[in-house]
Amino acid sequence: MFQSFRQAMAWLHTWFGLVLGFVLMAAFFFGALSVFDREIDRWAIPSTRIEPQPMPSFEKVLRPAFERMQPTQQAIDAMKPRVNGAMPERFDTVVSWSAYTTHRDPVLALFAGYQVPNAKDPEEAIWADTTIDPRDGTPLPNDRLKIGSGFFYPMHYSLTLDWKNLGIFIVGLSALVMLAALVSGVVMHRKIFREFFTFRPGKARLRSVLDLHNLTGVVALPFHFFFALTGLLIFAATYYFPLGHTQLHELHDLHAEVEARETGLPHQRAGVAAGLANVDAMVADAQRRWKANDKAGDVGFLVLQHLGDENGYVSVYRAGTDRIALVGDGIHYKASTGELIREDPAATPVGRMAEFLTGLHLQHFRHWLLRWLYVLGGLAGAVCIATGFVFFVEKRKRQHAQMGSQGARIVDALAVTTVTGMVLATLGILVANRLLPEDLPARGDWERYAFWGTWALAFLHAGLRSAPVARGLANPAWREQCWAIAVFAVSVVALNWATTGDHLLATLSRGYWPVAGVDLFILAGGTISVLAAFRLRRRAQQAGQERAASQEAARA
Amino acid sequence: MPSRSQRPQVVARVAAAILGGYAFAWGVVATGASLMVAAGMDFHDAEFLGSMIGVLAFLGVFLWAIAARRLRWVWLVTVIGGGALAATGSFVQSLLV
Repeated sequence: MFQSFRQAMAWLHTWFGLVLGFVLMAAFFFGALSVFDREIDRWAIPSTRIEPQPMPSFEKVLRPAFERMQPTQQAIDAMKPRVNGAMPERFDTVVSWSAYTTHRDPVLALFAGYQVPNAKDPEEAIWADTTIDPRDGTPLPNDRLKIGSGFFYPMHYSLTLDWKNLGIFIVGLSALVMLAALVSGVVMHRKIFREFFTFRPGKARLRSVLDLHNLTGVVALPFHFFFALTGLLIFAATYYFPLGHTQLHELHDLHAEVEARETGLPHQRAGVAAGLANVDAMVADAQRRWKANDKAGDVGFLVLQHLGDENGYVSVYRAGTDRIALVGDGIHYKASTGELIREDPAATPVGRMAEFLTGLHLQHFRHWLLRWLYVLGGLAGAVCIATGFVFFVEKRKRQHAQMGSQGARIVDALAVTTVTGMVLATLGILVANRLLPEDLPARGDWERYAFWGTWALAFLHAGLRSAPVARGLANPAWREQCWAIAVFAVSVVALNWATTGDHLLATLSRGYWPVAGVDLFILAGGTISVLAAFRLRRRAQQAGQERAASQEAARA
Repeated sequence: MPSRSQRPQVVARVAAAILGGYAFAWGVVATGASLMVAAGMDFHDAEFLGSMIGVLAFLGVFLWAIAARRLRWVWLVTVIGGGALAATGSFVQSLLV
């Protein structure tokens, strides 16, 4: 089909890049925002604008909160088809209670799993989750949409298309295509390098777009490659190559059995009732042991398994605040007596590599400069793809205009939608977050509708204004949506001020960076889009003058 | 873009790259992970390392499927080869369990 390898790579780069570039754009952009997901949550839920807290006392705070938890009616209804017979009124047999926190979390997420009598798969538990104020255990509104960790973050890896995990597979394929685009881009690059020395005055603008595309692609090449690869690996065993649950499940079960035997951590309940010793004492002992190993640290994850049973145990995991690898160094205690069962041994070399690669992607460590570099890397990826779109359109639009083809026009409208439209949708959900009444039922759903609604409007606008592209000119929607971003950005920051009183001077003087940072980042985005709008206007005027001049010359 | 008459060829290549690549990668993970477990590695470590090799194999096949002179070879290697690799994985498992 192709004359040469390089031609094949160019084809792959162009067409796969175009089709899945729309998905990659979202993955990069929302990935960059997810680096500060907890901070965006604080912005979106003003009642949680407090300092991060360590894991609270189990006996004083966690236990009463866990005891209050029950699955929601929604979860019960969803479970019904997988149960023989009726669902019980209350779920009392606890499979696990767990609490998870990081050095950036002022609120604490609690999870509880319960056995379901007569479940078709007896291993399947029903789950409940809640959010509490770790200082005193007060339940916080759990139905509020955590826009950062509960919406932008899932957008990053699944586009929130949950049906059959479709979104996760689309993003996975896009990540693979990202890897292929990087390899094929490098193969093409050799030729581009030669073309740098070719004088093409008439194509100057095209070349500057290409330069930016190459720059953002090449400068951050290791970043792009590793994030696409580690992103795939994080989901590989669960979704993309689930051999452990399918083809190799016998090996997996064998491993689970051996592990339960070796570690002494029972896989199932014994059926003999037993009490619960003081968990705070176990946590204190775990912290003492970490300190003795020169790894003093905070608790990141606390899990109680098979509660109320002789086989129950408590696992205490250390937060990965000071290193790239995730939570680890688990220490396990017998729940009924508090005696030590086991300390996790040091990870194997492969285990260390896995922890490092996934930790590198999920960044739980405390290092603000590095976090910002992640944001820049993600935005560089978004710029790389956006300039790819622009290059695709600019290269073809005059030719398409002559042939009467609509191809460039359609691609350009979609590019407007995914570049400026996506930013507008992101600001749209924040506007809705501040404007919707506090006690509106299903408030989070309305916020999501605002996101998709804004995006749909941006798409309509880009399409309606796209006619000039078919004549070889620029789509004014680019410029107009840049202005809209600026207006939205200022409104979002102003609304935050009006509805919470937290204006920038207040948050900055208080040093409350989660909210100040979000506000400043939004204003910076607004400023950039104003600059872009001015530039686009100047360019449109120049193009208009050139056209007028050439028409005059043709008439003379 | 290749001309209109080449469209079926384009579809065939894209299908080979995605479906063939996936089948082959699955086989690589199955063989890789089971052999590493046989060599004494922890299951989840083997699963992770196998997946990594599988993803990189997918990438290789993906590029090859687009560039290959004869698509027939791509299908042959990915489907027959991938199937043989998957069968090896099951065979190794049957020896271990």
